[in-house]
Amino acid sequence: MATGKITAIASQFPEGVLTSDALAELYPGWPAAKIIEKTGIRERRICATNETALDLGEKAALKLLAETGTGAGEIDFVVFCTQTPDHALPGNAALLHRRLGLRPDCGVLDTGLGCSGFVYGLAVVEGLIATAAADCVLLVTGDTYSKFIHPMDRSVRTLFGDAAAATLVRRFENGDRAIGPFVFGADGRGAENIIVPAGGARLPAPANDVDPEPDEFGNVRGPANLYMNGAEVMAFALKTVPEAAARLMAKSDRSIGDYDLVVLHQASALLLDKLQRKLGVGDNRFVRRMESCGNTVSSTIPLALEPYLQDAGSSPRRALLVGFGVGYAWAAAEVVI
Amino acid sequence: MDDFISGLAEIFEVDDGDITPDFDLETHNWDSLAIVSVIALVDSCCGKLLNGRALAQCKTVSDIEALANQAEAA
Repeated sequence: MATGKITAIASQFPEGVLTSDALAELYPGWPAAKIIEKTGIRERRICATNETALDLGEKAALKLLAETGTGAGEIDFVVFCTQTPDHALPGNAALLHRRLGLRPDCGVLDTGLGCSGFVYGLAVVEGLIATAAADCVLLVTGDTYSKFIHPMDRSVRTLFGDAAAATLVRRFENGDRAIGPFVFGADGRGAENIIVPAGGARLPAPANDVDPEPDEFGNVRGPANLYMNGAEVMAFALKTVPEAAARLMAKSDRSIGDYDLVVLHQASALLLDKLQRKLGVGDNRFVRRMESCGNTVSSTIPLALEPYLQDAGSSPRRALLVGFGVGYAWAAAEVVI
Repeated sequence: MDDFISGLAEIFEVDDGDITPDFDLETHNWDSLAIVSVIALVDSCCGKLLNGRALAQCKTVSDIEALANQAEAA
């Protein structure tokens, strides 16, 4: 049977840096040490005003092609996962197709979903490969939540950073399955707990006369800003992520000890600490990469995997992935890298 | 219970002995970060998931304990 395999990942961060020290100066009562302890983040990378997820995704893709010696003509499908596209339409995938000079018969598809987007994207890619619709697929994740965040909303500005990652998935014949199985889930009752209310068709972007207002904790935001109810999202993740991992392990007939790597969406150190304990995974197998980039939404999982893909001499590693968040939506998958 | 008390003391940056039933949350930085931390603490100590909105309305430690007693097991 044909299977897809992740052969390379390349990332791209913007040049702008927002340190926890700088944030501590803005937010009384939140010293840098406390921010770093709870979030696990020393600095976030932040886009310039005229820099977008598409720009970051293009640079990540070009880096990926150069590092792997892959010609643009080899790509026969692009999936672009973002919640911060350049335009309401057309989507980023077609724009990236033009920028990279891909073949006219290379397909394009845009997806959203946020923090679970990479795992969902992998499922789409594996489907394309398993059905022989594509042999070489570029999966780009990129989000720039900084553009949604009000500068005086410490509840989210301490967490999120901008980034993109480009993942190359190639078709292999007669190999052991290297992507999948998958399990999915969603609970739309959590929609209002991670939301940017305005900017879509339901509530168009507000005119400039809508003033952002402070909430009960003094965090300021308007309808076009990101809101996250951290407490509700924490409770959701503590319940859902172990259940999703358990469903995946039941489906693949494995136990947590069978995985060389456990890679969860890098939400915050506080949450990852609790989930690591619940899953019973040692530090040597529980992957973290957020200290110098923050929670980068759809790119956290490929960013965490990236160093292992660059370690070319190592034997194959089996990894358990769980993405979860906005929606709520979640997905877990097994990959061999 | 000792873990719960010491966990609260750590979150509010006070001594364990300061955590009494009538400990006033609002005068001790009862902000979004503290609320998220208490959700995680109660899950660890009691295996229960608190409702975030109800937790935000708590005024004292005894309010948190009452909420935890009502909460379903995680």
